[in-house]
Amino acid sequence: MSYFESRLRVNFENPSEIKKKLDFCERLGIKNIILEPKNNIRNISISLKKEIENLTNINLFYRITLRPSGLNELKKIIKDYNNFTDILSVETPDKDAQLYAAKDSRVDLISFSTQTILKTLTPGVISLAKQNSSFIEFSLAPIMVSNKSIQSKIFRNLYRFTRLVRSLKANYIISGNFKELFDFRHPRALISICYSLLEFPLVDAKKAFKDNPRILLKKVQERQNSDFIDTGVKLIKGVK
Amino acid sequence: MVKLERQRYILFKIIKDTSIFCEKKDFLNLIWRSIWRYFGMKEANKIGLWLFKLNLEEEIGIIRCSNKTKEVIISALTLIREINGKRIILSPVKTSGTIKGLKKIRIK
Repeated sequence: MSYFESRLRVNFENPSEIKKKLDFCERLGIKNIILEPKNNIRNISISLKKEIENLTNINLFYRITLRPSGLNELKKIIKDYNNFTDILSVETPDKDAQLYAAKDSRVDLISFSTQTILKTLTPGVISLAKQNSSFIEFSLAPIMVSNKSIQSKIFRNLYRFTRLVRSLKANYIISGNFKELFDFRHPRALISICYSLLEFPLVDAKKAFKDNPRILLKKVQERQNSDFIDTGVKLIKGVK
Repeated sequence: MVKLERQRYILFKIIKDTSIFCEKKDFLNLIWRSIWRYFGMKEANKIGLWLFKLNLEEEIGIIRCSNKTKEVIISALTLIREINGKRIILSPVKTSGTIKGLKKIRIK
């Protein structure tokens, strides 16, 4: 498998929009995409997945993002996601909710996609996410602005926090998460931006777009196995 | 010992919204502007940029640069968003050390 676009937000009730976006991604040469519903769908049905997969040749994967405003809301909504079949991510500016999400084994990904949320990232969350083998997500969508001073501030924040995550050796992925069609870019091109403007070593940048999303998907797949207990812990039957 | 500088050829796809009329010179200026905006003189003097081929009908282009600035050029191309007020994407497809290597690639 090649590079991943780890976040593409689409309206699951509008097949023409999905087709348009997927066709554009195909034109760009993107091979693997993780789709996220724009509308508040709680669970993506298998029939809907098949319907979408028939539209394209791209390898599709799915994720749901919870956006709680606080800890109590997160505790309330996460109850419905025990043994969830897709990637579960949490995106919130609330620090307590972030810490709770980082500790919770149901959460695969803690997203820091917008600038306001990115600024709330602390070493505590990174450390807990690392212990729980969950992933931190950064997004490159905010860099697509024309204003030079705003753009340089965005690059500065991304540089600062990606460096922090890398120094603490936590797991991270980088997604495009672009909204407009003409802002979409191939992940290989985004790797170059990470290397030349965010000072990632090329190996690390490739890991964020290729290996880490694969590890994340593998983790989600393993969860479906009833013998799976925790990362690295599995029940082996029939062996004396 | 100072090593000889090697070259890289980058094949890129041009994805455009509507038909665009622009000369090679304008296109080159656009790439230089992007390099200057994001990397400045420190990188610009190492690039050795040459627009080898530009075909707006086939929607492809080939540029030549030094091997050490390949990633810089790809970033600069990626961060270009419009030409003459029209939305555009310059998406790198393949990099090669020889022009012969790029000719083998066919864009569907």
